Amino acid sequence: MKIDLVLNGREVTWDIAPGQTLLAALRDHQVYSAKRGCETGDCGSCTVLCDDQPVNTCMVPAAAVHGRRLTTLEGLLGDELMVTLQREMVERGGIQCGYCTPGMLISFYALLKENGRPSNEEIRESLTGNLCRCTGYVKPVEAVLAVVKERDQTGGQAE
Amino acid sequence: MWELREYRYAASPAEAVALLRQGPGRGAYIAGGTDMLLFPPDCDFVVDVNRAGIGGIGETPAGDLLLGAAATLQELARHELVTGFAGGAIARAASHCGNRPVRTTATVGGNLCNALPSADMAPVLLALDAHCYIADEDSQESVPLQDFFVGPRQTVLGDRLLVGLVLPAAAHDRRCCGRKLTRAAEDISLVQVEVALGIADGRIDAARIALGAVAPVPLRANLAEGLLTGVACDDITDDVLADTAAVAAGECDPISDHRAGGEYRRDMVRVLTRRLLATALGREDLS
Repeated sequence: MKIDLVLNGREVTWDIAPGQTLLAALRDHQVYSAKRGCETGDCGSCTVLCDDQPVNTCMVPAAAVHGRRLTTLEGLLGDELMVTLQREMVERGGIQCGYCTPGMLISFYALLKENGRPSNEEIRESLTGNLCRCTGYVKPVEAVLAVVKERDQTGGQAE
Repeated sequence: MWELREYRYAASPAEAVALLRQGPGRGAYIAGGTDMLLFPPDCDFVVDVNRAGIGGIGETPAGDLLLGAAATLQELARHELVTGFAGGAIARAASHCGNRPVRTTATVGGNLCNALPSADMAPVLLALDAHCYIADEDSQESVPLQDFFVGPRQTVLGDRLLVGLVLPAAAHDRRCCGRKLTRAAEDISLVQVEVALGIADGRIDAARIALGAVAPVPLRANLAEGLLTGVACDDITDDVLADTAAVAAGECDPISDHRAGGEYRRDMVRVLTRRLLATALGREDLS
Protein backbone atom coordinates (compact mmCIF):
# COMPACT_ATOMS: atom_id res chain seq x y z
CA MET A 1 0.00 0.00 0.00
CA LYS A 2 1.07 3.62 -0.51
CA ILE A 3 1.19 6.36 2.12
CA ASP A 4 2.06 10.06 1.85
CA LEU A 5 3.89 11.83 4.63
CA VAL A 6 6.26 14.69 5.30
CA LEU A 7 9.66 13.33 6.31
CA ASN A 8 12.12 15.92 7.59
CA GLY A 9 10.31 18.68 5.71
CA ARG A 10 10.07 16.79 2.42
CA GLU A 11 6.88 15.27 1.02
CA VAL A 12 7.41 11.61 0.29
CA THR A 13 5.34 8.64 -0.82
CA TRP A 14 6.26 5.26 0.59
CA ASP A 15 5.29 1.82 -0.53
CA ILE A 16 4.80 -0.18 2.67
CA ALA A 17 3.36 -3.48 3.85
CA PRO A 18 0.07 -3.06 5.81
CA GLY A 19 1.49 -4.76 8.91
CA GLN A 20 4.91 -3.10 8.84
CA THR A 21 6.11 -1.01 11.78
CA LEU A 22 7.16 2.58 11.23
CA LEU A 23 10.64 1.58 12.40
CA ALA A 24 10.98 -1.02 9.64
CA ALA A 25 9.65 1.43 7.05
CA LEU A 26 12.09 4.15 8.13
CA ARG A 27 15.06 1.82 7.86
CA ASP A 28 13.80 0.53 4.48
CA HIS A 29 13.98 4.16 3.39
CA GLN A 30 17.54 4.69 4.61
CA VAL A 31 16.64 6.55 7.80
CA TYR A 32 19.09 4.85 10.14
CA SER A 33 19.03 7.13 13.21
CA ALA A 34 15.98 5.19 14.43
CA LYS A 35 17.59 2.05 15.83
CA ARG A 36 16.12 -1.38 16.28
CA GLY A 37 16.45 -2.22 19.98
CA CYS A 38 13.83 -3.98 22.07
CA GLU A 39 10.94 -3.63 19.60
CA THR A 40 8.56 -3.65 22.58
CA GLY A 41 8.35 0.08 23.35
CA ASP A 42 10.74 -0.05 26.29
CA CYS A 43 14.18 1.07 25.15
CA GLY A 44 13.47 4.18 23.07
CA SER A 45 16.35 3.69 20.63
CA CYS A 46 13.82 4.02 17.77
CA THR A 47 12.32 7.34 18.96
CA VAL A 48 11.41 9.98 16.35
CA LEU A 49 9.02 12.94 16.36
CA CYS A 50 5.55 12.56 14.85
CA ASP A 51 3.82 15.95 14.60
CA ASP A 52 6.47 17.17 17.11
CA GLN A 53 5.69 14.49 19.72
CA PRO A 54 8.13 11.67 20.53
CA VAL A 55 6.92 8.21 19.47
CA ASN A 56 8.38 4.71 19.62
CA THR A 57 8.47 3.80 15.95
CA CYS A 58 8.54 0.09 16.84
CA MET A 59 5.05 0.54 18.36
CA VAL A 60 3.47 2.53 15.52
CA PRO A 61 2.22 0.91 12.31
CA ALA A 62 3.78 2.62 9.29
CA ALA A 63 0.30 3.00 7.79
CA ALA A 64 -0.77 5.10 10.81
CA VAL A 65 1.53 8.00 9.81
CA HIS A 66 -0.20 8.56 6.47
CA GLY A 67 -0.60 12.35 6.25
CA ARG A 68 1.60 13.03 9.27
CA ARG A 69 4.86 14.95 9.72
CA LEU A 70 7.90 12.98 10.88
CA THR A 71 11.14 14.47 12.14
CA THR A 72 14.14 12.25 12.70
CA LEU A 73 17.66 13.11 13.85
CA GLU A 74 18.70 13.39 10.18
CA GLY A 75 16.27 16.30 9.82
CA LEU A 76 17.72 18.19 12.78
CA LEU A 77 21.41 18.02 11.94
CA GLY A 78 21.85 21.76 11.39
CA ASP A 79 19.27 22.79 13.97
CA GLU A 80 20.73 25.19 16.52
CA LEU A 81 19.12 23.57 19.55
CA MET A 82 20.07 20.07 18.39
CA VAL A 83 23.66 21.11 17.68
CA THR A 84 23.93 22.59 21.20
CA LEU A 85 22.45 19.42 22.71
CA GLN A 86 24.82 17.20 20.77
CA ARG A 87 27.84 19.28 21.80
CA GLU A 88 26.92 19.18 25.49
CA MET A 89 26.23 15.44 25.35
CA VAL A 90 29.72 14.88 23.87
CA GLU A 91 31.56 17.29 26.16
CA ARG A 92 29.91 16.08 29.38
CA GLY A 93 30.23 12.36 28.76
CA GLY A 94 26.54 11.83 28.02
CA ILE A 95 27.52 9.44 25.23
CA GLN A 96 29.36 6.18 25.65
CA CYS A 97 28.46 3.32 23.31
CA GLY A 98 26.04 5.61 21.48
CA TYR A 99 23.28 3.15 20.65
CA CYS A 100 20.63 4.99 22.67
CA THR A 101 21.92 8.45 21.77
CA PRO A 102 19.72 9.34 18.76
CA GLY A 103 16.57 8.40 20.69
CA MET A 104 17.73 10.24 23.78
CA LEU A 105 18.54 13.36 21.75
CA ILE A 106 15.06 13.28 20.20
CA SER A 107 13.45 12.98 23.65
CA PHE A 108 15.50 15.89 25.01
CA TYR A 109 14.79 17.95 21.91
CA ALA A 110 11.03 17.40 22.26
CA LEU A 111 11.24 18.38 25.93
CA LEU A 112 13.18 21.58 25.30
CA LYS A 113 10.90 22.62 22.44
CA GLU A 114 7.94 22.34 24.78
CA ASN A 115 9.58 23.64 27.93
CA GLY A 116 12.58 25.97 27.71
CA ARG A 117 13.43 25.70 31.41
CA PRO A 118 12.79 22.14 32.54
CA SER A 119 13.66 21.17 36.10
CA ASN A 120 15.97 18.29 36.91
CA GLU A 121 12.88 16.19 37.61
CA GLU A 122 11.22 17.13 34.31
CA ILE A 123 14.38 16.20 32.44
CA ARG A 124 14.49 12.82 34.15
CA GLU A 125 10.77 12.35 33.44
CA SER A 126 11.39 13.05 29.73
CA LEU A 127 13.84 10.13 29.75
CA THR A 128 11.30 7.53 30.92
CA GLY A 129 11.19 6.17 27.39
CA ASN A 130 14.94 5.80 26.89
CA LEU A 131 17.09 3.05 28.33
CA CYS A 132 20.83 3.64 28.57
CA ARG A 133 23.10 0.89 29.91
CA CYS A 134 26.31 2.95 29.92
CA THR A 135 25.89 6.40 31.38
CA GLY A 136 23.53 5.83 34.30
CA TYR A 137 21.59 8.89 33.01
CA VAL A 138 23.43 11.37 35.25
CA LYS A 139 25.64 12.81 32.57
CA PRO A 140 22.91 13.11 29.92
CA VAL A 141 20.77 14.99 32.46
CA GLU A 142 23.73 17.26 33.24
CA ALA A 143 24.11 17.89 29.52
CA VAL A 144 20.51 19.10 29.25
CA LEU A 145 20.92 21.29 32.35
CA ALA A 146 23.98 22.79 30.68
CA VAL A 147 21.96 23.54 27.54
CA VAL A 148 19.28 25.23 29.65
CA LYS A 149 21.89 27.32 31.47
CA GLU A 150 23.63 28.23 28.24
CA ARG A 151 20.41 29.37 26.64
CA ASP A 152 19.54 31.40 29.73
CA GLN A 153 22.87 33.21 29.45
CA THR A 154 22.45 33.90 25.74
CA GLY A 155 19.11 35.62 26.24
CA GLY A 156 16.88 32.70 27.14
CA GLN A 157 15.71 31.98 23.62
CA ALA A 158 13.01 29.37 23.76
CA GLU A 159 13.77 28.16 20.25
CA MET B 1 6.32 -9.08 10.81
CA TRP B 2 2.59 -8.78 11.35
CA GLU B 3 1.01 -10.49 8.32
CA LEU B 4 -1.83 -8.07 7.69
CA ARG B 5 -3.49 -8.10 4.30
CA GLU B 6 -5.06 -4.67 4.55
CA TYR B 7 -4.99 -1.47 6.63
CA ARG B 8 -8.22 0.53 6.40
CA TYR B 9 -8.97 4.08 7.57
CA ALA B 10 -12.41 4.98 8.93
CA ALA B 11 -13.75 8.55 8.73
CA SER B 12 -16.62 8.07 11.20
CA PRO B 13 -17.67 5.59 13.88
CA ALA B 14 -20.41 4.17 11.64
CA GLU B 15 -17.94 3.71 8.82
CA ALA B 16 -15.51 1.99 11.19
CA VAL B 17 -18.14 -0.57 12.21
CA ALA B 18 -19.16 -1.09 8.57
CA LEU B 19 -15.54 -1.54 7.48
CA LEU B 20 -14.96 -4.08 10.23
CA ARG B 21 -18.06 -6.08 9.29
CA GLN B 22 -17.36 -5.91 5.59
CA GLY B 23 -14.67 -8.61 5.72
CA PRO B 24 -13.36 -10.69 4.10
CA GLY B 25 -11.73 -12.52 6.97
CA ARG B 26 -11.14 -11.31 10.52
CA GLY B 27 -10.73 -7.67 11.33
CA ALA B 28 -9.81 -5.60 14.38
CA TYR B 29 -9.94 -1.93 15.30
CA ILE B 30 -6.63 -0.16 15.85
CA ALA B 31 -6.07 3.19 17.59
CA GLY B 32 -2.62 3.90 19.09
CA GLY B 33 -1.50 0.36 18.37
CA THR B 34 0.94 0.13 21.28
CA ASP B 35 -0.71 -2.99 22.69
CA MET B 36 -1.51 -4.53 19.31
CA LEU B 37 2.05 -4.33 17.99
CA LEU B 38 3.27 -5.97 21.19
CA PHE B 39 0.90 -8.92 20.74
CA PRO B 40 -0.41 -8.72 17.16
CA PRO B 41 -3.87 -10.28 17.02
CA ASP B 42 -4.55 -12.96 14.45
CA CYS B 43 -6.47 -10.97 11.87
CA ASP B 44 -6.56 -10.26 8.15
CA PHE B 45 -7.13 -6.52 8.31
CA VAL B 46 -7.37 -3.63 10.75
CA VAL B 47 -9.58 -0.54 10.81
CA ASP B 48 -7.73 2.60 11.95
CA VAL B 49 -10.10 4.72 14.09
CA ASN B 50 -7.72 7.64 14.70
CA ARG B 51 -9.44 9.65 11.96
CA ALA B 52 -12.99 8.60 12.88
CA GLY B 53 -13.75 11.77 14.86
CA ILE B 54 -13.64 10.03 18.22
CA GLY B 55 -10.64 11.89 19.68
CA GLY B 56 -10.65 15.05 21.69
CA ILE B 57 -11.63 16.10 25.19
CA GLY B 58 -14.59 18.29 26.09
CA GLU B 59 -17.27 19.18 28.57
CA THR B 60 -21.05 19.37 28.44
CA PRO B 61 -22.94 22.47 29.61
CA ALA B 62 -23.90 20.43 32.68
CA GLY B 63 -20.22 19.92 33.53
CA ASP B 64 -19.83 16.28 32.48
CA LEU B 65 -16.31 15.52 31.24
CA LEU B 66 -16.12 13.92 27.78
CA LEU B 67 -13.12 11.85 26.79
CA GLY B 68 -12.92 10.68 23.18
CA ALA B 69 -11.92 7.03 22.96
CA ALA B 70 -9.04 8.00 20.66
CA ALA B 71 -7.78 10.77 22.98
CA THR B 72 -4.17 9.92 23.78
CA LEU B 73 -2.84 9.38 27.28
CA GLN B 74 -0.55 12.38 26.80
CA GLU B 75 -3.61 14.54 26.00
CA LEU B 76 -5.34 13.24 29.13
CA ALA B 77 -2.24 13.95 31.20
CA ARG B 78 -2.11 17.58 30.06
CA HIS B 79 -5.60 18.82 29.17
CA GLU B 80 -6.91 21.43 31.59
CA LEU B 81 -10.42 19.94 31.72
CA VAL B 82 -8.83 16.68 32.86
CA THR B 83 -6.33 18.21 35.27
CA GLY B 84 -9.26 20.17 36.75
CA PHE B 85 -11.56 17.17 37.26
CA ALA B 86 -11.55 15.34 40.64
CA GLY B 87 -8.24 16.88 41.61
CA GLY B 88 -6.61 15.81 38.35
CA ALA B 89 -6.90 12.11 39.19
CA ILE B 90 -7.40 10.97 35.59
CA ALA B 91 -4.48 13.10 34.39
CA ARG B 92 -2.30 11.65 37.14
CA ALA B 93 -3.22 8.07 36.18
CA ALA B 94 -2.56 8.80 32.49
CA SER B 95 0.82 10.35 33.24
CA HIS B 96 1.87 7.17 35.08
CA CYS B 97 0.98 4.96 32.12
CA GLY B 98 3.86 3.49 30.10
CA ASN B 99 6.53 6.01 29.17
CA ARG B 100 6.51 9.36 27.39
CA PRO B 101 6.67 8.13 23.75
CA VAL B 102 4.08 5.40 24.45
CA ARG B 103 1.69 8.05 25.82
CA THR B 104 1.95 10.01 22.56
CA THR B 105 0.08 7.30 20.68
CA ALA B 106 -1.61 5.08 23.28
CA THR B 107 -5.29 5.99 23.72
CA VAL B 108 -7.66 5.80 26.66
CA GLY B 109 -10.14 3.79 24.58
CA GLY B 110 -7.46 1.34 23.51
CA ASN B 111 -6.39 0.83 27.11
CA LEU B 112 -9.96 -0.12 28.06
CA CYS B 113 -10.82 -2.16 24.94
CA ASN B 114 -7.67 -4.21 25.33
CA ALA B 115 -9.34 -5.20 28.61
CA LEU B 116 -6.35 -6.42 30.56
CA PRO B 117 -7.13 -6.91 34.28
CA SER B 118 -4.27 -4.46 34.84
CA ALA B 119 -5.52 -1.75 32.41
CA ASP B 120 -3.95 1.35 33.89
CA MET B 121 -6.84 3.70 33.20
CA ALA B 122 -9.64 1.45 34.43
CA PRO B 123 -9.56 1.96 38.22
CA VAL B 124 -9.63 5.77 38.17
CA LEU B 125 -12.41 5.79 35.58
CA LEU B 126 -14.39 3.24 37.61
CA ALA B 127 -13.92 5.34 40.76
CA LEU B 128 -15.34 8.38 38.95
CA ASP B 129 -18.41 6.56 37.54
CA ALA B 130 -17.41 6.61 33.87
CA HIS B 131 -19.97 5.58 31.26
CA CYS B 132 -18.91 4.12 27.91
CA TYR B 133 -20.51 5.25 24.65
CA ILE B 134 -20.59 2.44 22.13
CA ALA B 135 -21.41 2.91 18.46
CA ASP B 136 -23.11 0.52 16.10
CA GLU B 137 -23.68 1.29 12.42
CA ASP B 138 -26.88 3.24 13.09
CA SER B 139 -27.26 3.46 16.85
CA GLN B 140 -25.41 4.21 20.08
CA GLU B 141 -25.55 2.69 23.52
CA SER B 142 -24.31 3.84 26.89
CA VAL B 143 -22.93 1.26 29.33
CA PRO B 144 -21.51 1.88 32.82
CA LEU B 145 -17.79 1.08 32.79
CA GLN B 146 -18.23 -1.54 35.51
CA ASP B 147 -20.40 -3.53 33.07
CA PHE B 148 -17.95 -3.07 30.16
CA PHE B 149 -15.41 -5.73 31.13
CA VAL B 150 -16.49 -9.35 30.74
CA GLY B 151 -13.22 -11.20 31.34
CA PRO B 152 -9.51 -10.95 30.60
CA ARG B 153 -9.26 -9.35 27.14
CA GLN B 154 -13.06 -9.53 26.79
CA THR B 155 -15.57 -6.69 26.71
CA VAL B 156 -19.25 -6.25 25.85
CA LEU B 157 -18.30 -4.62 22.52
CA GLY B 158 -18.46 -7.51 20.06
CA ASP B 159 -17.77 -5.83 16.72
CA ARG B 160 -19.06 -2.45 17.88
CA LEU B 161 -16.79 0.54 18.55
CA LEU B 162 -16.12 2.36 21.83
CA VAL B 163 -16.41 6.03 20.87
CA GLY B 164 -15.96 7.81 24.18
CA LEU B 165 -16.39 8.10 27.92
CA VAL B 166 -18.51 10.40 30.01
CA LEU B 167 -17.55 11.32 33.56
CA PRO B 168 -20.59 12.80 35.35
CA ALA B 169 -20.39 16.30 36.80
CA ALA B 170 -21.34 14.74 40.14
CA ALA B 171 -17.85 13.22 40.29
CA HIS B 172 -16.09 16.55 39.62
CA ASP B 173 -15.38 17.38 43.25
CA ARG B 174 -14.68 13.89 44.54
CA ARG B 175 -11.50 13.43 46.52
CA CYS B 176 -9.76 10.83 44.42
CA CYS B 177 -6.46 9.16 45.29
CA GLY B 178 -4.80 6.19 43.73
CA ARG B 179 -1.67 4.15 43.67
CA LYS B 180 -0.31 1.44 41.45
CA LEU B 181 2.47 -0.89 42.46
CA THR B 182 4.98 -1.89 39.82
CA ARG B 183 8.53 -3.18 39.79
CA ALA B 184 10.04 -0.51 37.53
CA ALA B 185 8.03 2.68 37.05
CA GLU B 186 6.82 1.95 33.53
CA ASP B 187 5.98 -1.73 34.10
CA ILE B 188 2.56 -3.32 33.94
CA SER B 189 0.98 -2.95 37.38
CA LEU B 190 0.97 -5.61 40.09
CA VAL B 191 -1.82 -4.01 42.09
CA GLN B 192 -3.86 -0.86 41.56
CA VAL B 193 -6.18 0.82 44.02
CA GLU B 194 -8.13 4.00 43.41
CA VAL B 195 -10.51 5.52 45.95
CA ALA B 196 -12.90 8.44 45.47
CA LEU B 197 -15.02 10.04 48.16
CA GLY B 198 -17.86 12.49 47.67
CA ILE B 199 -18.35 14.45 50.86
CA ALA B 200 -21.36 16.68 51.56
CA ASP B 201 -22.21 18.27 54.92
CA GLY B 202 -19.52 16.22 56.64
CA ARG B 203 -20.97 12.96 55.39
CA ILE B 204 -19.82 10.48 52.74
CA ASP B 205 -22.43 10.67 49.97
CA ALA B 206 -20.42 8.61 47.50
CA ALA B 207 -17.71 6.08 48.25
CA ARG B 208 -15.82 4.35 45.45
CA ILE B 209 -13.04 1.81 45.76
CA ALA B 210 -11.77 0.47 42.43
CA LEU B 211 -9.20 -2.28 42.05
CA GLY B 212 -6.98 -3.34 39.15
CA ALA B 213 -4.77 -6.36 38.45
CA VAL B 214 -6.32 -8.36 41.30
CA ALA B 215 -9.22 -10.12 39.54
CA PRO B 216 -10.13 -11.26 36.01
CA VAL B 217 -11.46 -7.75 35.34
CA PRO B 218 -10.93 -4.31 36.91
CA LEU B 219 -13.64 -4.06 39.56
CA ARG B 220 -15.32 -2.03 42.26
CA ALA B 221 -15.25 -3.22 45.87
CA ASN B 222 -18.98 -2.71 46.37
CA LEU B 223 -19.24 -4.25 49.86
CA ALA B 224 -16.41 -2.10 51.20
CA GLU B 225 -17.93 0.99 49.60
CA GLY B 226 -21.21 0.21 51.37
CA LEU B 227 -19.51 0.42 54.77
CA LEU B 228 -18.72 4.09 54.18
CA THR B 229 -21.73 5.35 52.25
CA GLY B 230 -23.85 7.74 54.27
CA VAL B 231 -21.49 7.71 57.25
CA ALA B 232 -20.47 10.99 58.89
CA CYS B 233 -16.74 11.61 58.40
CA ASP B 234 -16.30 12.03 62.17
CA ASP B 235 -17.65 8.51 62.69
CA ILE B 236 -15.07 6.98 60.35
CA THR B 237 -12.57 5.85 62.96
CA ASP B 238 -9.29 4.11 62.28
CA ASP B 239 -11.09 0.85 63.02
CA VAL B 240 -13.73 1.59 60.38
CA LEU B 241 -10.99 2.28 57.84
CA ALA B 242 -9.18 -0.95 58.75
CA ASP B 243 -12.43 -2.95 58.46
CA THR B 244 -13.30 -1.35 55.13
CA ALA B 245 -9.84 -2.14 53.77
CA ALA B 246 -10.11 -5.75 54.96
CA VAL B 247 -13.49 -6.14 53.23
CA ALA B 248 -12.06 -4.70 50.00
CA ALA B 249 -9.21 -7.21 50.18
CA GLY B 250 -11.81 -9.97 50.51
CA GLU B 251 -13.59 -8.79 47.36
CA CYS B 252 -10.63 -9.25 45.03
CA ASP B 253 -9.57 -12.51 43.46
CA PRO B 254 -5.89 -12.21 42.55
CA ILE B 255 -3.75 -14.75 40.74
CA SER B 256 -0.15 -15.64 41.50
CA ASP B 257 2.19 -15.22 38.56
CA HIS B 258 5.79 -14.31 37.79
CA ARG B 259 5.09 -10.69 38.74
CA ALA B 260 3.65 -11.19 42.22
CA GLY B 261 1.97 -13.74 44.48
CA GLY B 262 -1.77 -13.65 45.00
CA GLU B 263 -1.47 -13.27 48.77
CA TYR B 264 0.86 -10.32 48.35
CA ARG B 265 -1.55 -8.69 45.92
CA ARG B 266 -4.49 -9.20 48.27
CA ASP B 267 -2.59 -7.80 51.23
CA MET B 268 -1.52 -4.77 49.21
CA VAL B 269 -5.18 -4.11 48.38
CA ARG B 270 -5.83 -3.97 52.13
CA VAL B 271 -2.83 -1.74 52.88
CA LEU B 272 -3.37 0.65 49.98
CA THR B 273 -7.14 0.91 50.47
CA ARG B 274 -6.71 1.94 54.10
CA ARG B 275 -3.97 4.44 53.37
CA LEU B 276 -5.72 5.93 50.34
CA LEU B 277 -9.00 6.36 52.22
CA ALA B 278 -7.11 8.06 55.05
CA THR B 279 -5.45 10.29 52.45
CA ALA B 280 -8.79 11.16 50.83
CA LEU B 281 -10.07 12.10 54.31
CA GLY B 282 -7.04 14.35 54.83
CA ARG B 283 -5.57 12.26 57.67
CA GLU B 284 -2.54 10.81 55.93
CA ASP B 285 -0.60 11.69 52.85
CA LEU B 286 -0.06 8.86 50.43
CA SER B 287 0.26 11.01 47.36
